Amino acid sequence: MQRFEYLIKRFILAIVVILSVMVLTFFISRVLPSDPAAAWAGSHPTAEQIAIANQRLGLDQPLHVQFWRYFTSVLQGDLGTSLQTKQPIARDLRTYLPATMELVFCAMLLAVVVGIPLGVLSGAYKGSFFDHLTRLVSISGVSIPTFWLGLLLQLFFFSQLKILPLGSRISTATAINNPVTQLTGFYLIDTAVTGNWAAFKDTLLHLVLPACTLATYPVALAIRMTRSNIIEVLSEKYILAARITGLPRRTILFDLALKNAIIPTITVLGLSFAYSLTGDILIEIIYSWPGLGSYITGAVLAIDFPVIVSVTLFVTVIYVFINLILDLLQAMLDPRVSLE
Amino acid sequence: MTTTTLSAEPAASPPAVPSERQLILRAFRQDKLAMLGVLVIVFFVLTSIFAPLLTPYPAQGAGAPNIIEKFKAPGAEHPLGTDYLGRDVLARIFYGGRSSLTTGFLVVFLAVLIGAPLGAIAGYFGGRVDDVIMRITDVFLSFPPLLLAIAIATALGSGFVNTMIAIAITWWPWYTRLVRAQTVSLRERYFIEAARSIGVPSFKIIATHILPNVLTPILVQGTMDLGSAILTGAAINFIGLGVQPPQADWGNMISQGRIYFMERPWFAGSAGVAIFLVVLSFNLIGDALRDAADPRTRRGEA
Amino acid sequence: MKRYSLLILLVMAALLLAQCAPAAPATPAGEAPAAEQPAAAGDVARKDIFVYAHPTTIPNLDPSTSYSNDLVVMANCYETLTFYNAPGSAETLSPKLAESWESNEDATEWTFKLRQGVKFQDGEPLNAAAVKYSIDKIRELAVGAYYIWDAVDTIEAVDDYTVKFTLTYSSPLDLVASANYAAWIFSPKAYEENGPDWFNEGHCAGTGPYTIDSYERGSRLIMSANEDYWGGWKDGQFKKVVFELIEDPTVTQRMIESGEADFTYQLPADNLEKIKQNPNLVVYQNPAFLNLVGLFNTVKPPLDNKLVRQALSYTFPYDAFMEGVMNDRATQAFGPVPDGMWGHSKDLFQYSYDLEKAKELLTEAGYPDGGFKLLYTFATGDLDEQTAGELWKAELAKLGIEMELQGLSWEAQWDLSKADPAKAQDVFVMYWWPDLISPLSFLKSMYYSEEEPLFNLGYYKNPEFDKLVDEGDVLTGTDREAATEKFVEAQKILVDDAVSVFFYDSANIHVASASVAGYVDNPAYPHVVFVYDLTRK
Repeated sequence: MQRFEYLIKRFILAIVVILSVMVLTFFISRVLPSDPAAAWAGSHPTAEQIAIANQRLGLDQPLHVQFWRYFTSVLQGDLGTSLQTKQPIARDLRTYLPATMELVFCAMLLAVVVGIPLGVLSGAYKGSFFDHLTRLVSISGVSIPTFWLGLLLQLFFFSQLKILPLGSRISTATAINNPVTQLTGFYLIDTAVTGNWAAFKDTLLHLVLPACTLATYPVALAIRMTRSNIIEVLSEKYILAARITGLPRRTILFDLALKNAIIPTITVLGLSFAYSLTGDILIEIIYSWPGLGSYITGAVLAIDFPVIVSVTLFVTVIYVFINLILDLLQAMLDPRVSLE
Repeated sequence: MTTTTLSAEPAASPPAVPSERQLILRAFRQDKLAMLGVLVIVFFVLTSIFAPLLTPYPAQGAGAPNIIEKFKAPGAEHPLGTDYLGRDVLARIFYGGRSSLTTGFLVVFLAVLIGAPLGAIAGYFGGRVDDVIMRITDVFLSFPPLLLAIAIATALGSGFVNTMIAIAITWWPWYTRLVRAQTVSLRERYFIEAARSIGVPSFKIIATHILPNVLTPILVQGTMDLGSAILTGAAINFIGLGVQPPQADWGNMISQGRIYFMERPWFAGSAGVAIFLVVLSFNLIGDALRDAADPRTRRGEA
Repeated sequence: MKRYSLLILLVMAALLLAQCAPAAPATPAGEAPAAEQPAAAGDVARKDIFVYAHPTTIPNLDPSTSYSNDLVVMANCYETLTFYNAPGSAETLSPKLAESWESNEDATEWTFKLRQGVKFQDGEPLNAAAVKYSIDKIRELAVGAYYIWDAVDTIEAVDDYTVKFTLTYSSPLDLVASANYAAWIFSPKAYEENGPDWFNEGHCAGTGPYTIDSYERGSRLIMSANEDYWGGWKDGQFKKVVFELIEDPTVTQRMIESGEADFTYQLPADNLEKIKQNPNLVVYQNPAFLNLVGLFNTVKPPLDNKLVRQALSYTFPYDAFMEGVMNDRATQAFGPVPDGMWGHSKDLFQYSYDLEKAKELLTEAGYPDGGFKLLYTFATGDLDEQTAGELWKAELAKLGIEMELQGLSWEAQWDLSKADPAKAQDVFVMYWWPDLISPLSFLKSMYYSEEEPLFNLGYYKNPEFDKLVDEGDVLTGTDREAATEKFVEAQKILVDDAVSVFFYDSANIHVASASVAGYVDNPAYPHVVFVYDLTRK
């Protein structure tokens, strides 16, 4: 019963946060120096055109009226229209979002599959050469500017070794001869499901560099967090007890210790995921990745405020949602956490 | 979480037991990598401050163009080569440190300035005040941070100071949370109770008892954040919203050097190395501080 | 037990999030998903594909409102009534969808005779009704360059292949009809049935030689040959056209060097030397109808003083900038109308880099040691505008003048300048290019008196200048030579008044594969490759 109450409370809180963000974003976008009507009208608009656009976009209405219009249309699923492209933003999101999500999912997968085991081992064998090496790698990982790392990787793997492509999701040849059927927008899934193995391989090749660059920070973070949590957990009394009773080391590590050490790591990774949805802006610029980051950067630089407001809202909802899930997970799995 | 016990009054007799602060410092000094980090930071700070004296090309460092010597590869006259306007890259790195390092320090400083007191107030008073402050914190934490920083930087206008303000606005919530958690645990301590019972006003209690005791975690977190703040600043400058030309900045240098990178990697490359070394050093220092501050992980404990 | 529930929860969460990305619109018919097809047989040969590595996005494929870099696509799938020829041609215009045209004495009535037997890509015939529909729709929506048809009062479909325009004042409608925006003729049926959004999903309903197969916004656009094109097809022409939308110049450069792309532009200037030496590539360098100006704020002291403006015009290091930064990408401008366009005149006075002369003029104006501060605003990210500023700043410092550089987004820059002129920038840097190939575009937009500043961001008000421009405007439709004279007179005033620094006339530098033959640069349609005219050697 307590859990249910907690759920309701958190849910209400989430709604409040989302509403506040909506209002704040709307307000910020109005403060941005811009003339949305002129942006709508085009690059060399005439004075009449701007006047017409002002009316068409409802910009001559008082601020609270504009917000109400926006609010009600969002509730109906209409996220507005981009000033630059004049396209419904919801449609643009459907195009750009899968590209980013695919990239971010791959990066997070690497973080979990590579980072966590390394962190466990590093913590378990604390002080060893392996530990020192891993620590060096992980601390470098959180210190390196990812946009610079991307440049280096491109220089090495594309320019020098010539084994990986420079950018984009698939090559021209594949796009013409083995085009990807748009099902989910996740190319790995779409190509596998339709048996388009040539495109699958091409997609994978194109994913390697951007995903690895993006994964650098989460992997390093996962290693660091897991390591310090494992060290903490391993010093607990019940681990000592387990050792005395003769349980094999591997069981102790990966069954007992990891279970308790993993929660904070998962939390951090979850937040990393949410952050990466727009934090991968620089990766997308360098690798010409047609994702959310490119879309929003273009919008901010051109002050396309409907896009700015709607995308921020969208990403915030995801953020809040992820936070909620993580909080719940934590509450369910760790009985020590009070449901306050 | 780390709890620090600070003796409220100095030892009456000549101290045979070193104070907590001394213990932390001693442990910190023993971490060789961290000391190396300190050296690196000191190096960059000194070179930025004394930049005009250290380079034979102070004018170029500040921005004067020198077109004739465009894109020279690293050599005798220019150890790191020249950039797209012929300016000595080493000089630009030194001058760039001014903007990049200042961004890091000021952002963290501002964030702590805003966030810490809020967190202390929230933790100390609890109840409604706590709720309101934490909800506001939640709202700010829900914004995608890079996006928020970019949006604010665009709204305020490009420029060095505005960028710092923009980033600080996305950063302060973390300190509020941190300080609040610390304050809550401190609140129940006996000496707080004592102070309250004799009628010391709340704000005085917060200022004299709580804030000093949360200093260590703030310091640790702040040091680790310095690196991230520099990275975020570099990212915003990379997009073009921050420091304006011809002022040097490491993020700008990477952005401007990017299109020539494959053929002439030296100016984007050196700027990246500079950022990496500085951020790495801050992280090493922060790690060591954190290990030293926690009695469980502190090295060399008797 | 707990470990598994964690895993299950995570998987559920992941699936839930994946649901947030519902199916994108399905690929249009004609592009079957390639299942287990043997790779070789169904593939289109590389030599039959023209790959254009395009360095910007293409915002809007709707022919009634398209107004940007989408031009490169539109020009291959839609057509205009008349066509503006590349410089060096005998005639300015040539027939396209209109076979012939005539006007009355004072150019207030124009009649176009349409080509017969032409079909739109959806099968509908090209006729006068379609032309009327297209142009009426463009004017109705009032977006983009619709105002080029301002003079038009009514459009009449006299018969199936004759269209008559009646104007309220004289206007060169033959020129207007060749414009690169707001002049595309599209199928009324397709527009009515599908609505404007349909175009941006990746469809085309024009009369042109290529049609759109698929469009992945922000990524690539694929076109294939329209078998029923009225011009017919020969061997060696391209069967498919792919636009790779890549904003990173490093990538476009790699693509053209490796042969992955056949055409591109906007490569970093300093890498051009290396490219010119590459035997597999050809560098086409031609004047564009684009120039860069720095408008002086003529109402804010000290720039309200003509002598100061003239002095400043002598301080910009033109030669050093052209040689050191622009290389072949630009030539110093002769006044506001770019080289190659009618109305341009090399007789106009050209300022040069002369610090002594500048100092003389400054002293005459009362500022012998400078002593004032200027604000130079430019578009963030534009290296040319930025470098020009950096170089200029260094020169001005020698005369005791401090210039502050500020990079802003175009929006912010424009906003600042449209506010209070007394508080606005001192030098507003921007590019200009014409919607209609006429000096009017340059002269009127940037220098003609305005009540509320729109693009006259130097806030210049000179009735004598205005008069000359108006006269030239009226004559454009009837007597182009007389019009040119008037416009040149007007330009003389601007140069003498030093209303802006005329930095440079841009040259377009296009890089193409040596295996592609037939490319002719046409600045009236910037960066457009009419793939129909090309063959693979």
